[in-house]
Amino acid sequence: MPLVVYKNFPYTFVLLYQNMKTKITSDQLDELIICHKCHTLHKKVSITNGSKALCKSCKGVLYHRDDSLIEKGLALSITGLILFILANAFPLIKVDILGQEQVISILSMVVRLVESEYYIVALFVVYLVFIFPLMIFLIYITLFFLLKTTQKEQVVEELLILLSKIVPWNMSDIFLISILVSLVKLMGMLEIHIGISFWTLTLFVIIDIYMTRSIHIGELWKIKEEIYMEPK
Amino acid sequence: MEDKRRDIYGAKMNSLEEEQLIRCPICEAVNRDEGKKNICRRCNSKIYQHQKFQTEKSWAFLITAIIFYIPANLYPMLVIKQFGNEDGSTILGGVIVLWEMGSYPVALVILFASVFVPLLKFLLLLYLLISVNYSLGNDSKVDKHTLYYITEIIGPWSMIDVFVVAILAGLIHLSSMEMVAGAASTAFALSVFFTIMAAHSFDSRLIKGRK
Repeated sequence: MPLVVYKNFPYTFVLLYQNMKTKITSDQLDELIICHKCHTLHKKVSITNGSKALCKSCKGVLYHRDDSLIEKGLALSITGLILFILANAFPLIKVDILGQEQVISILSMVVRLVESEYYIVALFVVYLVFIFPLMIFLIYITLFFLLKTTQKEQVVEELLILLSKIVPWNMSDIFLISILVSLVKLMGMLEIHIGISFWTLTLFVIIDIYMTRSIHIGELWKIKEEIYMEPK
Repeated sequence: MEDKRRDIYGAKMNSLEEEQLIRCPICEAVNRDEGKKNICRRCNSKIYQHQKFQTEKSWAFLITAIIFYIPANLYPMLVIKQFGNEDGSTILGGVIVLWEMGSYPVALVILFASVFVPLLKFLLLLYLLISVNYSLGNDSKVDKHTLYYITEIIGPWSMIDVFVVAILAGLIHLSSMEMVAGAASTAFALSVFFTIMAAHSFDSRLIKGRK
């Protein structure tokens, strides 16, 4: 079995099954992992705490090992939720036009689109930058809380399935770039002030990106199986 | 959990080939490809069950997206009402105005997000959908999994223009100067939505073995 492990701190490269002469039996499926980028088959090896296993052919991250993932996840998701609430409570941008002040927040933007009868655009905006990010963070909090206290396995499974369906539709990071683009567009014309919410939204997006990168749903399933297997 | 699995697979403890293994798109577990009815052994979700129409669903979404992309480029994206004048600019028109104003980076970002990304996605999906059914010469060296991954990653970035329109329309509405969303914003948002749907409904099993 051509197992090669390069230990190159802090990363551990894992590679296996390059030439598929080796036999795989049905009960070994849990030990395998398929890279989500290039679909190369790998066999999992145990890695030390804090390291990552990388795909051999495309160098993408296959899985991590983080023994305090649940605690970190809970802390980050609560912080993220607080930042998200703050980002929606105060104005994002403020402009001065001929002595009149105009402010904007995510929800006032949606209201404005509905008023001008662009219902479809309003629907997209409210789902992609408000409902889905809020749902994702509420799901994360519930999920990590249930995992931490080892309750309700059924609910955890349903939340994980729901999570993997809505994560690709979360576009808060793209919304942040859009704010910057519109600031540049307005810069020559008007006097612009950046609101408090802009900074909280930036922090929220940083946490959001960090969480989607460091928490793989496949790993959460594995942790879930380990946690709920033990007590019985 | 363990026992259940052995019940399902216990009778067939044969060795498996790499081609028979598929990845559950929901929970990332490795499953064996049973052909018609694939239910993930870990999360019980269906994995590409539409055998009778493997590519048709993706084709339908892609064609819808391309149709919506045409009005998205012809109609104005943002209408500026100033002192009684109405001035609408299309996507390309907006890029040209920004370029002339001298803000080159923003012009390039918009050009990339609203022109290159959608076109690249259309071309990549067309190529993938055609190449899994018909052999296109010597394409064995093309890494289609990577192409598919690229289409999934770049998809959401085209929404930038829609969000910018929503921000500007929400921010500037005075009697002397007003910005409102144009007809193209709806068409463009729908086009982006349908390309993402087309990418999601593409059965990546079809690429398998033809890498």
